[in-house]
Amino acid sequence: MKKFNIAITGLGGQGIITAGTILKNAVLDSVMQDVSGSERRGGAQREGYVEAFVKYIFYDSIAELQNPRKNMHSPMIASGDADVLISLEPLETLRAASYVNKNSVIIFNTNPHIPISVRMGKNKYPELDDILESLYGITDNVFYYDFNKLSLENFGSIISCNVISLGVLFAKTNIPVSKNVIENILLKGSKAKDNLKAFNIGLNL
Amino acid sequence: MANLFVDGKYGDRGIILGNEAIARGALEAGIGYASMYPGTPASEIIIALDKNKKNIKNIYTEFSLNEHISLHGAIGASWSGIRSLCAMKNVGLNVASEPAHFLAYTGVKAGLVLAIGSDPGAPSSSNEQDDRWYSLHTYMPIIEPSNIQEAKDFTKKAFDISEQFSFGIILMAPSRLCHNAGILHFGDCSDRDLISGNFKRDPENYLNLFNLAVKNHKKYLERNELLKKYVYNSELNMIIDAQISSTKSSRIGFISSGVIYSHLIEALNFINADYYKILKLGITFPLSEELISKFLDNLDEVVIVEEAEGFLEFQIKKIAFEIGYHGKIHGKNVFKAYGELTIDDVIKGVAGFLGKAAPEYFTAAVNKSEILSDKIPQRMGTFCVGCPHRGTIYSILKASGYSNTDSKDRDVVIAGDIGCYTLGLLPPYNAMDWLTCMNSGLSIGQAISIADKSKKIIALVGDSTFYHSGIPVLMNAIQNNSNILYIILDNSWTAMTGHQKTPSTKTDIDGTPIPNSVNLKDLLKSLGVSYIKTVDPNSVKRFSVIIKEALKEKGLKVIIAKRECILQEERRKKIKNIKSKLENSSEIIYELQKERCVKCNECFVELACPAIQSAKENGTNNGKEYYFIDPVSCVKCGVCYEVCPNSAIRKVEFNLHPTVNTAIMR
Repeated sequence: MKKFNIAITGLGGQGIITAGTILKNAVLDSVMQDVSGSERRGGAQREGYVEAFVKYIFYDSIAELQNPRKNMHSPMIASGDADVLISLEPLETLRAASYVNKNSVIIFNTNPHIPISVRMGKNKYPELDDILESLYGITDNVFYYDFNKLSLENFGSIISCNVISLGVLFAKTNIPVSKNVIENILLKGSKAKDNLKAFNIGLNL
Repeated sequence: MANLFVDGKYGDRGIILGNEAIARGALEAGIGYASMYPGTPASEIIIALDKNKKNIKNIYTEFSLNEHISLHGAIGASWSGIRSLCAMKNVGLNVASEPAHFLAYTGVKAGLVLAIGSDPGAPSSSNEQDDRWYSLHTYMPIIEPSNIQEAKDFTKKAFDISEQFSFGIILMAPSRLCHNAGILHFGDCSDRDLISGNFKRDPENYLNLFNLAVKNHKKYLERNELLKKYVYNSELNMIIDAQISSTKSSRIGFISSGVIYSHLIEALNFINADYYKILKLGITFPLSEELISKFLDNLDEVVIVEEAEGFLEFQIKKIAFEIGYHGKIHGKNVFKAYGELTIDDVIKGVAGFLGKAAPEYFTAAVNKSEILSDKIPQRMGTFCVGCPHRGTIYSILKASGYSNTDSKDRDVVIAGDIGCYTLGLLPPYNAMDWLTCMNSGLSIGQAISIADKSKKIIALVGDSTFYHSGIPVLMNAIQNNSNILYIILDNSWTAMTGHQKTPSTKTDIDGTPIPNSVNLKDLLKSLGVSYIKTVDPNSVKRFSVIIKEALKEKGLKVIIAKRECILQEERRKKIKNIKSKLENSSEIIYELQKERCVKCNECFVELACPAIQSAKENGTNNGKEYYFIDPVSCVKCGVCYEVCPNSAIRKVEFNLHPTVNTAIMR
């Protein structure tokens, strides 16, 4: 059995759940493929923390697929068990850093969204350099970009950050899914032209 | 996806949400009636059916005013021979507990399934209650699916069991299953043309009084014994035999159910220990003594892996006592009884119990996150940009003088309640004194106004919560001459669960007028409220003056803070703009002029609108901090413009002429 776990985190309204759903739709070709992963939705639209897990499972044999000791998967990702962490907010990258290990890839958006506790002067928002230092303390594979800026420049809104980050996922990791499959999913969805463009921007970063 | 949800056939596969899988299972079972009072994490169960109802033959969906009504509705449909699905969140069963306690007495005709979304860790709830305990007295059987496929398959099966034993069946799904999204293998739907109701009198079962009630009590206890025999043979339960011959390990077993079972299987693989004897319980009430006895046979120790207080442990220890089992039964001595039981908790618990090491990368990640956690400021939810509740909470704090304080000595008591406005209890507002259940605000507040006459009381309630069960509370306050200010935050929708209609909703999102909507002011008048004021919550200065005035008056005062949920208002605008793209209208923007801003924090901290943000000059870490309005997220509600004491926020109005637009487009 081969597994590939992706944790996607960020804030309500950033398209975290959508990004997860796009990735999940990529493994419908064969019964030997499976995918699951829970979503934290409570904070949607209300500045709260949102996360989506994508857990790909590729069975080696029918026997394995039918083995109850092998064919049941937790909807959550255990600490250190994510192959990739995608985060659309720097502070949330740090919060989700527990999912990754020294071989994982971290892809994150450098555009901060200041929480209320920091506004009130009760906490300090960490500097980007401090965040990077903490992340490099876990893995060398850290890729970061200002997705907000890229999305605004190309689409006039920040709506495409999530799909740009998926492009980066395919450029910088060994995700066992073909990028053509994702392009086909984007092609069938709404705003296909923009989404394909955003995906390509990410691919070329 | 929506089409597959309706039209999917055997052989189809698709990505689906756990809640949708439950709804699909009900569709495959041929339901004709679906009801709920919305509540996270269960809402999408009925939403999935409701939004597709035009394409589903012979289905009725209802967002009922409360759970009590909703479950009674499902009972009425079942008695009429229509299979029915009722859904609610965990605390919903408190409201519906009365019908739930009669369901075993009367039994069902067509299958009835009550899907309950529990919320361990309470990310969207005011408590963590485990509704399974109710079944010790309601005798409603409980089915617990572990993944998306089982969510669909078990729901379908639950309808058969319901009919066979004449019980309403509870389908338990925690948030982690409700909001798990993954692959579902579809089945075929039964013939929907055959769905039609026929209510027949059944006084022997439906009438419960004196000896009739006693007789029905006896009957359902007998049915429960029959059900236990079924449970013993049911494929919903599964024993996985040990795959090891070593004496000690082969004499240890695990029992689990639901999503926690999926954690257990993954945890055992995680620590390379996937060879123990396991009992997977798909039916967790009633348990079969025979099945438990068969599993415990040859085991010296058994570990029950479950969330919350140990419902399975309680039942299994009773059975173990009765059958004279002499081994050890572990449960809550290994796993915590509060909070969500995460995959990490199960890995740690199982590894610790077996004396095995978790992988190094797991331990390293756990340790690392403990070190990092000090560095990470908490991020709590707040009101959306432009939310009318922000205006209400701000106005209350200004009127009472409690801005940005969390003091315990306040003369004005602010009674919280359930809804989006609940977020007002969080910093920076700290604007609520308690939060428990639906309509606890006014009812507790009313008693405090009697018990402590030195306090002034403001009780909050949203329109959906008010119509849920607030009317009797308000009438009680009127009848007893309570001295209290009741603010109804009427945003026209049950907003927090995805904008279901309330009796206050006058027009649908596409502009269609809704018949039978309620005129709240007229309703209040007819109940006998004489002091009623209606105010736009975004006019915060006016609103706080009105609150101040109302607090001076004796008796019951009601203020209706009326403004539609901003998310719905924005959606309406979008639909309208699509319809008439070149509309000749004026556009307003708000600008924060940094040279006039003295950073008094009135907008940034007191009002705390997320669209007002801070940045450093020249983009460097050492630059001077300044505030600005983020044009991308601002929805132009204008509240910051009103609260700024230094006129640093500027309102710019300009006209959009079609000719100008054309010029830009070229």
